[in-house]
Amino acid sequence: MDRVVFWSGAVDTLARAVAAPFTPGKAAAAVVRSVTFKQLFFTGVQGLPYVTVTALILGSTLMLQGHATAPGVPGEAVGQLLVAAVLRELAPLVTAMIVASRSGTAIATELGNMRAGLEDAGLRSLGVDPQRYMVQPRLVAMIVSVLVLTVYFAVLAVGGCLATAWLLGAPSPTAIQSGLALAINPSDLFLYLIKGTGCGVLIGWLCCHFGLQVTGSSTEVPLMTGKAVIASLLGCVVFNFAVTIGYYAWVSGSVG
Amino acid sequence: MEEPRRGLELERVTYRRGGLLLLDDQSVRVPAGGTLVVTGANGVGKSTLLHLCAGLLHAGSGRIMLHGHLVDPTLPSALMRCGVRRGVVFQQGGLVANLSALDNVALGLSYHADLLGLSDGIIDERSRFCLGAVGVESPDIHALPGRLSFGIRKRVAFARAMAIEPNFAFFDDPDAGLDRENAELVHDILVSYRDDPRVTMVVASNHRALLQRLALHPSELHEGRLARQDLYTMPRSSLV
Repeated sequence: MDRVVFWSGAVDTLARAVAAPFTPGKAAAAVVRSVTFKQLFFTGVQGLPYVTVTALILGSTLMLQGHATAPGVPGEAVGQLLVAAVLRELAPLVTAMIVASRSGTAIATELGNMRAGLEDAGLRSLGVDPQRYMVQPRLVAMIVSVLVLTVYFAVLAVGGCLATAWLLGAPSPTAIQSGLALAINPSDLFLYLIKGTGCGVLIGWLCCHFGLQVTGSSTEVPLMTGKAVIASLLGCVVFNFAVTIGYYAWVSGSVG
Repeated sequence: MEEPRRGLELERVTYRRGGLLLLDDQSVRVPAGGTLVVTGANGVGKSTLLHLCAGLLHAGSGRIMLHGHLVDPTLPSALMRCGVRRGVVFQQGGLVANLSALDNVALGLSYHADLLGLSDGIIDERSRFCLGAVGVESPDIHALPGRLSFGIRKRVAFARAMAIEPNFAFFDDPDAGLDRENAELVHDILVSYRDDPRVTMVVASNHRALLQRLALHPSELHEGRLARQDLYTMPRSSLV
C-alpha cells in the first residue's frame, strides 16, 4: 500500500512538473528560467571534468584490453565493436551514472533540506508553485545535461580509444575510423535521443521526488538521497536495456 | 446590515498527523480585516492550524477558503491570481537557503512581477525598504540565511511577508527568539496589521507581552478544538 501511495505520488510529481510550464505567469517563467540555467551550469558544465576523465580512461582501457586479449583483431572490427559497446551502451549508461551520483544526490539533498527547513512552505506562502520552482528546472536541466554529456562522453571515449591505438601502434586508427563509419547509422541518433532523454527524466524525476518525501526532519535527507540514487541508477540500467532490445528489434525488423 | 467581506473560512476541517488528531472538525470564520489570535500548550497544533489557515497544508477533510477562494496547496499561484496575497512568518525556517536575504524578500515580487505590475527597479527598492523597516541592513541583506543569526533571519522573514503587501497575514510565534528591541518592532508591525482593515490576520503565540500589546481575546486550542471559534476581532476603523 505504501508503495502504491509512493509511486502514485511520484507520477503526480512528474505530471505537475510537465504541466508547470503551461501555468500562467511570464515573470514566473523568467524566475524559473534562471533557476534552470543555474542547474544546467551545475549539472552540465561543472560535470564536464568528471565525464572527460572517465570517458578518456574508459576508451583507453577498452583499447588496452582489446589489444592484450585479441591482438590480431582488425581495426574495422574494433571500430564496429566500439559503436556497439561504447557509443550505444556505455556512453549513455556511464554518463547517467556520473550525473546521478553527482547531481542526482545534490538535487535529492537540496530538495530534502528545503522540505526539512520549510522552504517549500515558504515558497507556497509567496504564491510560488513548488513544482514549477523546485522540480521543473531540475528536470529540464537534467534532461539537457544528460543528452549533451552522453554525446560528449561518446566522442571522448572514442578519442581515448584512438589515441591509445596510435600509441600502441596497432590496430591502425584509420582502420578503426572506417569501422566506426561503417557501423554508425542514422538510427543511432534516435537511440541517443531516447536514451539520453529517458535517463535524464529518470534521474531528475526520481531524485526530485525522493527529496520531496522528506517530511520534516533533516535526518531523513541522507536516507532519501541514498534511495533516490539507487532508484535512479537501477531505473537507468533497466531503461537502457529495454531501449537496446527495442532498438535491435526495430533495426532487424526494418532490415528484414 | 451589510454582510462582512469574506476573509478566512475553515469549514469542518479535520487534520491528523500520524495517529495524532491535531484539528477535530473545526469551523473558523474570520471576516476580511479581522484578527484571530490562537494560544495553546506546546505541541497542541497551533502551527499546524496556522499552516492550514494559510493554505500551506492539505486538510484531511473540510474546506479552507481565503476571500471565498478554495485553497490548493499544490498550486499556490492560483490564489495569487485571484488577488489573495499571503504573508507568512514561520516559527523558524521558511527562507530559501540558497538565496540572499534580499533575494528572499524579492522572490515573491519577482515571481509575480507581471501580475503586480512591478519593474525590477521597484522590486529592488521595495525589498530594500522592507528589510530596512525591520532593521536588516548591508552587509546582512546580501548574506545567505545560513550565515545570519536567528533574530535577523526572523526579521528577514517579516520583511518578505511585508513586501508582498499581504491581505492575509499569518504569524507563528512571531516574537520568539528576538531581543526586546526587535520584539517591540515586531509587535508594532502586528499592531499595524491588526488595525488595517485590508489585512486579515492569524497569530499563534503564547507570549504574554505580545498578547497584551495586541489587546485581543485569544482563542485557546486544546485537543484539536478551539475554545471559541468566533473569537476574531475587527479593526476599530472598520467598526466606525
